[in-house]
Amino acid sequence: MKKFILIVTVFIFKQSACQELFLLTDPASNVPANSLAVNVLQSLFKKEIGPGYNYHIMPEVTYGVNKNLMVRGTAFLSNRNNQLLAEGGGFFAKYRFYSVDELNSHFRIAGFGRFSFNTSNIHQEQIEIMGHNTGFETGIVATKLIKKLAISSTVSYEKAYNNNPNFTLPNNFANNATNYTLSFGKLMYPKKYISLKQTNINLMMEFVGQTINENGKSYLDVIPVIQFIFNSQARLDLGYRRQLLSSMMRTASNGVYFNLYYTFFNIRKNS
Amino acid sequence: MKILNKKYIVVLLLLTMFTAKSNAQILKAEIRALGLTCSMCSNAINKQLESLPDVKSIDIDLNTNTFIVTLSDSNSLLPSVFKDKVENAGFFIGSLILTVSSETVFKSPYIIIKDSVGQQKQVEIEVLDKGYVTAKRFKKVSKLYKNVETFNENNENDFHVLIINE
Repeated sequence: MKKFILIVTVFIFKQSACQELFLLTDPASNVPANSLAVNVLQSLFKKEIGPGYNYHIMPEVTYGVNKNLMVRGTAFLSNRNNQLLAEGGGFFAKYRFYSVDELNSHFRIAGFGRFSFNTSNIHQEQIEIMGHNTGFETGIVATKLIKKLAISSTVSYEKAYNNNPNFTLPNNFANNATNYTLSFGKLMYPKKYISLKQTNINLMMEFVGQTINENGKSYLDVIPVIQFIFNSQARLDLGYRRQLLSSMMRTASNGVYFNLYYTFFNIRKNS
Repeated sequence: MKILNKKYIVVLLLLTMFTAKSNAQILKAEIRALGLTCSMCSNAINKQLESLPDVKSIDIDLNTNTFIVTLSDSNSLLPSVFKDKVENAGFFIGSLILTVSSETVFKSPYIIIKDSVGQQKQVEIEVLDKGYVTAKRFKKVSKLYKNVETFNENNENDFHVLIINE
């Protein structure tokens, strides 16, 4: 494991890592006003106990209300009950309230909130309202872009409720946690732009962690991501999530992500 | 034309409010955007600018984030539309240089704060108001033109310009 952290560190600082369109962690920047982004995130995680994989699919629609506010709706589907079922949905909003932009750099801060509901059974101590728990999350994100490197960090509070109508949160599971993320992204290609049609390649390294407030149980994961941007409008992300450390019960912590993303610009005319 | 006095400007403003806006004609806008480095962000600005009426073409230098917008004749666009569009994309303007007919710059909402116009038909002007230059440059020009009353008022409906192609 130490070796792995070393490799990760070398990867970031040697090749150093476009940056802020991360796979799992939202930056402080928003989608453009009056544009609609549609994406489908799929994940396949190996079960910790027994054979098999958990497959999740999360279609999302994101809309830029104005230059500072964006909203997003997400649906959660998975095969955890042996067939692919819709299990819930979520609503997310993010407001950018601070921006200092210079040539090829910026520093921005945004606040965000998310509410999700889920009808599946509760099967792990980890609190995850993206596809597992009913609950809410609220937090703050700061992003710094310096030329081709973006660094972004979030801190948030997450609270879980019973997964209605049939599943209550077990008594021995805590219902709230603090989440923190640190993400690095770097534009690797092209070195020099000649047109909007050029494919961009970004490398990212995201660290995602959680501490249960009541008992201090924690986990920390790393997610290296390679991202391709086509025609300056479509995105394909491939990521691998690996648990670095954990002191809580999780049912599937290592796996892969596949995300497709497309932006429709100026969806309302004459605005 | 040195510094215009305030009363004169108010009269000018009032006058032009009741005359056709099409007098204020921008032929070309060269926008340098701040805060981005990747082409997806450039495209976001490009698409916002494309949504403007009267746009004939947009040339982009992706390496310097410079957008050259050529506009059709007889448009009535004001400099503020470029600021709004760039900000809607999620970014900011670092510099805005407009090519306008020389008669345009004498009229409201433009206020020339330095230099004069010769015989040429078109002039290039740089907008110096807050939000049209980098924070650093704004600090500098605020100091330089601190005796221009209207400049310090930060009124969003007038545009203080510097003539740059004398």
